[in-house]
Amino acid sequence: MAPDLATRAELVKLARALHTSPDRVAFAASLGPAGIRRLRERVVTALYDEHRAAFQRVAAISRVLPTPLNVRIALRAFSPLLAARVAGEMAPERAAELANRMPIEYLAQACVHLDPRRAVPVVARIRPDRAVAVVLALVAREEFITLGRLLEAATARIVEDVTNRVSDEAVLWIGCYAESDEHLTRVFTALPAERVRGVVHTALTGPAELRLAGLAMIGRLTDDRFRNRVADHAAEADDDVLTRMLTTAVEVGGLTELATAVDAMSEPARRRVLELPVLAEHETLRRHLLGR
Amino acid sequence: MTGDARELVRGWLGEDAHELDALSDADVVELHGALVAARRHQGRALAAATDEALRQMPAVLRGTVRRIVEH
Repeated sequence: MAPDLATRAELVKLARALHTSPDRVAFAASLGPAGIRRLRERVVTALYDEHRAAFQRVAAISRVLPTPLNVRIALRAFSPLLAARVAGEMAPERAAELANRMPIEYLAQACVHLDPRRAVPVVARIRPDRAVAVVLALVAREEFITLGRLLEAATARIVEDVTNRVSDEAVLWIGCYAESDEHLTRVFTALPAERVRGVVHTALTGPAELRLAGLAMIGRLTDDRFRNRVADHAAEADDDVLTRMLTTAVEVGGLTELATAVDAMSEPARRRVLELPVLAEHETLRRHLLGR
Repeated sequence: MTGDARELVRGWLGEDAHELDALSDADVVELHGALVAARRHQGRALAAATDEALRQMPAVLRGTVRRIVEH
């Protein structure tokens, strides 16, 4: 049986941590999303701590040099990978001070390698306009796993500035890889009502993987009333679009999240979905949506 | 090898890595292989980045920084 959407997203993140492909870590699927996440956190800790002493020593040197000189040396001599590892060993204020003087593209590349345990306090201290520019650069590079990880550090202003400037697809992918359901919910509930409707429409009418990202998002929302609203927006789609969503959930996996979405719909919307002819064709669908 | 792999992985990830208890021996061997490859990948990437950094550094600082990094 194909793993559920949350498990798949966690397998992608575990693969990323291990510098490999999701199929090479498929063995971990049996742990479920929470277990895979705990395993990933241990993997990340082990890998980041392995060479930590060396980076701590480099960070110690930087403490005695003035900021402009540190920036010059880093840009001339450090790759973004190295800079990220050293930044992770600096006091967050110091790391942010350097980041505020570095080119956006360099910072975006470094963000990918930043120790997740240390990223939040650093990012939270970077100037908001620069943080937004870095996020936009990461979106352009489709670094959605990194963005999902950094969501915790984003202030309401950063979330607003970014969501105003990125596509619905990007919003869905960032949400798909958000580290916590609370952060995911915070981002989506901050969107203007019409944008929420637009994001739902984009998810429903996009390719299968985007439909699944939308389903995963609904399944993870922690605000029940907001989930009801999102589910009702989904039910506004025409029959063909809804049928395609239901079929995708059966064929690619996502029945649990689909059932959550249908349960969250208002009574007329739910009735309309449950009366779609596609239910007569798929016993699995009927079992998940009706037989509970 | 199977028992060794479990012990090695536990040594890397922590004695309290209870997630390992839920994985079969074959799964742990796969995880061990992935971890070995990831450590090798990371070691190579960091060594290359450090070498490049030292190459770029003013000669007067190079020796000192190398000693600090490779201490």
